Amino acid sequence: MLAVVFMSCEDVIDVDVPTGQTRLVIEASLDWEKGTSGSNQQVKLSTSTPYFETEAIPVVVGASVKVVNTNTNEEFVFVDQNDGTYLTTTFVPVIGNTYQLEVIYNDETYTATQTMTSVSDINNITQSIEGGFDDELLELNIYFDDPEDEANYYLVRYYEDGDLFPYFEDISDEFLNGNEIHDFFEKDDDEDSGQAPFQPGDTVEINLYGISESYYNYIRLLIEQYYSGGDPFSSTSAEIRGNCINETNDDNYAYGYFRATEVVKTSYTFQ
Amino acid sequence: MKHLFVGFCLLFSAVVLAQEKYSIRGTIKDITNGETLLGASVFLKGTSNGAITNEYGFFSLTAPKGTYTLIISYMGYETLTKDINLDADQTLNFELKEFATSLNEVIIVAEESEQVNLKKPQMSVSKLNASTIKQMPAVLGEIDVVKSIQMLPGVTNNGEGSAGFNVRGGAVDQNLVLLDEAIIYNTSHFFGFFSVFNADAIKDIKLYKGDIPAKFGGRVSSVLDVRQKDGNSKNFNLTGGIGLISSRLAAEGPLFKEKGSFLIAGRTSYAHLFMKGIEDLKDDKISFYDLNLKTNYDINKNNRVYLSGYFGRDVFNLSKIIENTYGNATANLRWNHIFNDKLFSNLSLIYSKYDYQIVLDFIELDWIADIKNYNLKYDLKYYLSDKVKLEFGASGISYKLNPGEVRPTSETSPVNYLKLDQKRAFEGGLYVSAEHQITDKLTAQYGLRYSAFSRLGGQSMTNYINNQPVVYNDQLGIYERGEVASETYFGKSERIKNYDNFEPRLGLSYQLNDVSSIKASYTKSSQYIHLLSNTSSVTPLDVWTPSGQYIKPQRSTQYAFGYYKNFNDNAYSLEVETYYKTVDNRIDYIDGSDLIGNNTIETEILNGEARAYGLEVLLRKNKGDFTGWLAYTLSKSEQRTYGGQAGGPGINGGHWYNTPYDRTHDISLTGIYKLNDKWSFSSNFVFQTGRPVTYPNGQYNYEGLSVATFSNRNEDRLPAYHRIDISATYTPNRKPDNRWKGEWVFGIYNLYNRKNAASITFNQNNQTGLNEASRISIFGLIPSVTYNFKF
Repeated sequence: MLAVVFMSCEDVIDVDVPTGQTRLVIEASLDWEKGTSGSNQQVKLSTSTPYFETEAIPVVVGASVKVVNTNTNEEFVFVDQNDGTYLTTTFVPVIGNTYQLEVIYNDETYTATQTMTSVSDINNITQSIEGGFDDELLELNIYFDDPEDEANYYLVRYYEDGDLFPYFEDISDEFLNGNEIHDFFEKDDDEDSGQAPFQPGDTVEINLYGISESYYNYIRLLIEQYYSGGDPFSSTSAEIRGNCINETNDDNYAYGYFRATEVVKTSYTFQ
Repeated sequence: MKHLFVGFCLLFSAVVLAQEKYSIRGTIKDITNGETLLGASVFLKGTSNGAITNEYGFFSLTAPKGTYTLIISYMGYETLTKDINLDADQTLNFELKEFATSLNEVIIVAEESEQVNLKKPQMSVSKLNASTIKQMPAVLGEIDVVKSIQMLPGVTNNGEGSAGFNVRGGAVDQNLVLLDEAIIYNTSHFFGFFSVFNADAIKDIKLYKGDIPAKFGGRVSSVLDVRQKDGNSKNFNLTGGIGLISSRLAAEGPLFKEKGSFLIAGRTSYAHLFMKGIEDLKDDKISFYDLNLKTNYDINKNNRVYLSGYFGRDVFNLSKIIENTYGNATANLRWNHIFNDKLFSNLSLIYSKYDYQIVLDFIELDWIADIKNYNLKYDLKYYLSDKVKLEFGASGISYKLNPGEVRPTSETSPVNYLKLDQKRAFEGGLYVSAEHQITDKLTAQYGLRYSAFSRLGGQSMTNYINNQPVVYNDQLGIYERGEVASETYFGKSERIKNYDNFEPRLGLSYQLNDVSSIKASYTKSSQYIHLLSNTSSVTPLDVWTPSGQYIKPQRSTQYAFGYYKNFNDNAYSLEVETYYKTVDNRIDYIDGSDLIGNNTIETEILNGEARAYGLEVLLRKNKGDFTGWLAYTLSKSEQRTYGGQAGGPGINGGHWYNTPYDRTHDISLTGIYKLNDKWSFSSNFVFQTGRPVTYPNGQYNYEGLSVATFSNRNEDRLPAYHRIDISATYTPNRKPDNRWKGEWVFGIYNLYNRKNAASITFNQNNQTGLNEASRISIFGLIPSVTYNFKF
């Protein structure tokens, strides 16, 4: 922000960065969409690469993946699709039940546990110009009720059709407990990054996830570092450790996370 | 306490008055404006007996009965001599005349270059006066005290646009910054681009990088002692300047028939006026202002009172989205009382406050926080004999901290009202210190400070299971918040935690010959309040927190050794110092710590230690048309943070790692050349090793994003920082009877337009999807022009 006033400049430069160890990446997101059976679930396995590597991320095939509901001992085996994804069609989601993930890869066993977390419905979606960061640009607003008697954490995923990536927000009810929570999504008018503000006709997918406190701690940091890593006014960047433990060799831990959430999915088209 | 009294008795009884001695006391002032001169020397010719004026221009010296020639000198002033017959105690006041009365007079006060100061055991001190600072090139011509001290060895900061300064590898909060004795909690305007000190209101600044005198306490790295001008007691005059960023105006003059004087100085920026004209920025406002006030009154020859104050404010308003204001306010009422020829005293009642407010309109939230303190302080100086001078005193500081209060700004705001626990604390200090000339060549300064700190009740404290506010999660390899066991409420009359420390200070100087000396010092000091900041640059929103159950006082020990030499008839001076410093109980933050609105900071920190060592070389040319200095520092600053009670390996596996203010090499060159009466030129060159940062060491795909993984904390470095600045000062001719004196200062900052990285951020390009590194550089080549005047 100060940049505007102080003639500062930003340019892309070449930087030599160190290369860390290659690790397994587990993206195991058991997301139960409200109003569906939630029986189709997917786990993605890949590996990390050097930071400036431009080749496609290497996918992991040949691993064995299963999830156990520790409350019911039901077991769900995920089938290797040979493209880095592992699928099941028989998953049974239960709010408040605890699930355990087990991945066996290269003779090492990774495990993680999560309790499935519920989410409130979205009360209302609106569009406005006056709100947001810029009172001349369109933004969309979502409203949902935060339950008062517990600590709640949310992840919101916005994705505009045609974009390369989604945009994420993490929300804790620490200062908002028991209130109707308002979140907004506005796009800058930034030619350098090719970002254009919303126009009537643009469609945005909205996913609101109810997440656990531990996943909130993970994703909050991931989001902060993704959007402002290296910025002098953000906290010092650090390795983000997920919840997947290598039971065989704990130094060879995996990146990524095993989450179990309830999600509200909807979309909005600007008028 | 008992130790102190014993110490006192020993010191007093050690001195036996063997022969008839008399004292001379008095005040040394500037002849033109009546400003008292601090650090001026009074010397008995042909002896090693002399005295230096204190902060109030007062001196006292004692010598055996006889006739003497007094030499009164001060750098940049004509030396005065006076023959006296010392057969009774006497009061002699002197007024010295500046060499030239030109506005752009260059004076580098090289305290050590004067004869008496080779002997003075005080080391690791740097002094700059306002006129030198005004000569140095500055960004946008904005004269900056904090930036100019960074041209001295051992002083750096975190780059352009970062607040505060780092001394000998210490953190920003480890500097005690005093403006007329009042604590300044944030030294910056515009988030660190400029400093809060208005050069027109300042007499001089002194930075103690080590060997901190016993009268100062409360911080472990340094003391920056900034003194405001008293105000001209002879004539009314105005000084001021018009620059690109701000304008300054100071008025000063005599009061009560020259028995008093006043100074009132203001400075305000006006960038926001230009911004109004720019369509995109018309709703933004960035501005700051300062107000300095000082007045004093001579009640009689033994009593003088001073009142000084400062008020400064920053306003930062971005399109009504974020509104941020912050600033310091201080006041100090002082009473100088001279008991007799040998005993000088000063009593001060001081108030300081720093507060900030941030309004985030888009989430309808208003956040305020502040820290304030009252400080009562009594300092005495006893000129015991020609060989021994004693300083002793006591102080008490009462702190009240409001770490944060959140208010919803409307009825529909989703935010709940929240007030973090108010914190109260008391810090007391007692000290005694002696400057003792042991032999003609050996002088010692030894002292002891006793500090005591109480965290006072009036709040609840959280207790954790196994007394672990932070717990290492062995399986996940991360530090997590501990589980709350219970809460204990402490009443206002209760004390939550007490600490106390003895802080010995010792300095020795040994004069090798007429032009060179060696000095050594040992300093222990303690710090009871800490600035919480988990970012690489401190921000105005960082919160101070007192020590308590979970945060222990920082304690430092510093050893320093130095060699000093004047040569070519004192035209040049060389100072070489090396130091080794350790700090116990230096906290660091766990990965992913969240300090904002946090009532239980203890769940985010681990206790560790820090160490720093280095070599500093300062070569100065003090006389002639060309003056200036070369400063070089070779240093290392590291910290180590174990898991301790929380378990686990700690940060970076419990190994030593660089602090964010580690700079291997730091070179500063300042040159000032006076061509003739009209033109003078100055230039700076700065080179610094890049700031330690943490770079990504890999990436992985998660939720469709390329997420960076990181190496160990502060394991990498930004590219080296360097730049050259130049400035030229033009003083037009004027008629001798014209009181108006003006000068133009033209400057170019960053002459070769080096894009110094303030930071490097790592992002995924949202058009290509590829990772890239972006360098943010703040000041490119910046020309400036400033007009200064005096009337």
